[in-house]
Amino acid sequence: MAADEELPFRPDGDRFAISLPTEAREAMRQLAGQYRTLLREQDPTSDPGVARLFPPARDDDPLANLEFENATHAPLVAERLKNVSIVERTADDESITQDDLLAWMAVANDLRLVLGTRLEVTEESTARDFAADPERRETFPMYQFLSALVGTIVEALPEPVG
Amino acid sequence: MGGVAQQIEVAPVEVERPVGDEVHEPDLPWIVIVWNDPINLMSYVTWVFQKLFGYPRAKAERLMMDVHTKGRAVVSSGSMEKAEADVARLHAHGLWATMQKDT
Repeated sequence: MAADEELPFRPDGDRFAISLPTEAREAMRQLAGQYRTLLREQDPTSDPGVARLFPPARDDDPLANLEFENATHAPLVAERLKNVSIVERTADDESITQDDLLAWMAVANDLRLVLGTRLEVTEESTARDFAADPERRETFPMYQFLSALVGTIVEALPEPVG
Repeated sequence: MGGVAQQIEVAPVEVERPVGDEVHEPDLPWIVIVWNDPINLMSYVTWVFQKLFGYPRAKAERLMMDVHTKGRAVVSSGSMEKAEADVARLHAHGLWATMQKDT
């Protein structure tokens, strides 16, 4: 097990210390920027990965589902874009607030949903499954990188108050 | 409203309702269902259930395992407005959530 100091995110008073290598920070910044472009240029009907971010709330009632989408889609896009901006703003920071860390977690998890949907991952997927396809072979390590980020952020966060 | 096709067998674990009570149509609560997906991490899903619903860790883990092993779980219930708000928050956290009238 790694020593505490080597954890990429760890509580530090009421803030969180980030110790990620420069390449990981740059990867996160670039992925966040690509995610913004995706949110602005695609919608659930044009991209399966985006569709996964906005699932139907009412699969029994198309009209009610449309009403739900009309009420929730724009605010949810705005929330996701705000998270992207927070990640870009804090990508090089050594110490961030809990709200910032939650934005990191949200962006990383949203990107996992997009990439995982594109890759058609299963719970058993390994790098070998994507070795034959050049594009997927490059995408899967990013997906794994984001999985590790989300997992370590969940561990770093305090237990939500029940 | 009405004519809602019940295609989904609801996971029974977390639905709390009085046994033997006659439930009248207008009072039917809405239920929020989270569906399994191969992407969201188990630890993350547990964290989301604790965060959004204030559930103790044991209950959140039980619900997460229901989603994982049974394919779905009812995670909350109440008025239509509450169900809509819960589904919206679950979607914001990347979980695959739907709502339907309880039967």
